[in-house]
Amino acid sequence: MVFNAQTNNEITSKATHHKHDAIKISVKDLSAYFGKTKVLKNISMTIPEKRVLAIIGPSGCGKSTFLRSLNRMHEVVGGTMTGSIIFDGEDIMKQDPVYLRRKIGMVFQKPNPFPTMSIFNNVVAGLKLNGFHNKKALAEIVEKSLIQAALWDEVKDILHKSGADISGGQQQRLCIARTIAINPEVILMDEPASALDPLSTTKIEELIFELKKDYTIVIVTHNMQQAARVSDFTTFFYMGELIEYSETKKMFVAPAKKQTEDYITGRFG
Amino acid sequence: MERHFEKELEELKTTINKMASIVDDQVENSFKDMEDSGVRLFKEIKQRDREVDAYDNLIMAQCENLLALYQPVATDLRFILTAIKIDSQLERCGDIAVNIAQRVKKTENFRDIIVQTDLPDMAKITREMVKDAITSFINCDSELAKTIWKKDDIVDDYNKKIFKQLVEKIQSNPEITEACAHLIVLSRQIERLADHATNISEDVIFLVEAEIIAHQKKLSGYQLPE
Repeated sequence: MVFNAQTNNEITSKATHHKHDAIKISVKDLSAYFGKTKVLKNISMTIPEKRVLAIIGPSGCGKSTFLRSLNRMHEVVGGTMTGSIIFDGEDIMKQDPVYLRRKIGMVFQKPNPFPTMSIFNNVVAGLKLNGFHNKKALAEIVEKSLIQAALWDEVKDILHKSGADISGGQQQRLCIARTIAINPEVILMDEPASALDPLSTTKIEELIFELKKDYTIVIVTHNMQQAARVSDFTTFFYMGELIEYSETKKMFVAPAKKQTEDYITGRFG
Repeated sequence: MERHFEKELEELKTTINKMASIVDDQVENSFKDMEDSGVRLFKEIKQRDREVDAYDNLIMAQCENLLALYQPVATDLRFILTAIKIDSQLERCGDIAVNIAQRVKKTENFRDIIVQTDLPDMAKITREMVKDAITSFINCDSELAKTIWKKDDIVDDYNKKIFKQLVEKIQSNPEITEACAHLIVLSRQIERLADHATNISEDVIFLVEAEIIAHQKKLSGYQLPE
């Protein structure tokens, strides 16, 4: 199966995936705006299921806007968009945004646990908000989510403590557990390790390797080495345009476009 | 503003170019000795080998530094990987130049045997290969690098042919056995020199075209066991 990345209706690159890869999200001619300013320009690309896609590019290139467009968070911050994003066969604009964000969860740059809630309640906050109160089932979900987020062993004896009382790296994994708890299919990560120390960063990266067995992951990162380490595919954005989309190994060894080469080797941007 | 990384990368390039230039001289001088059947340049070749070894260590240190501090990617990464490989090839070429000069010294009274074999022709083509390999690296010229492969087969054939020629000489005149044995080793050394030039050319293709073409023939249809 061949995944095409297009910009301005022109194919810029092709990323060849394994035959069994299914497309999780298909983006067609997506443009995003803040007022009249076009911040994303006619992006077309596909996101494979249960793989990690990294989005790289200099500040202001539109990568976070792209990420937020995927679960309609772009609207929440006052933006508009045209084109289509097909998720599981249906245009997301026709889907209930609350349902959509449950299926496409998000982890932000700065860990943002609810400081007044315990670790336990942080994990199940989304479920409780949706009226789910079965204690036994909640306890099972907390354990399962924290295990998946590689945090269980560190917090299993302090579940009653505030989510703000643990380290930054643990808080970020708690946020990942909170995202996982509502059973999403896609996890969007916006620079999830940029505020963390190297050890916590390594744990998040190892976690991403584990999570991709069950989830499709799209990660925005400024850390080129991180993109190279954790992702299967990488796409390079510049000034709102998709410049190149290819297998990560190829992108970091022999990129097809000079602009990509100049960016990843630190010669501009 | 020039970045530290680019400055250090430029320094690495300069170091390799210096090392390559010395090795090129070494090979040139060892063949000159062979042609003249003299030992005029032997001392110089031997002395300069220390310089080659020192550059070998310096290049390794520079590459280690660049990899550890800057985590390069794309062309920069390929350049450093190529530098590590070519450094090792050049160092071996330097050693071989010394070996060639030693064999020539040991056979200095048997100039006539050398010219009665294909050794001068083999040396000529190998000399071109080394020069072209170094030039292709300095100019990042993968097209020139590709011309080197074809010549390697010619040198291999010369090595086999020269072996036969020298064995025949030993059979017809056992008194020159020792000199011919040295020349068989000399032929083998020249053949190894051509191999290193070929390896450098493969590294240049990796550098320029991002294609790994080493061992392609040998590995055709082969898969590593699980």
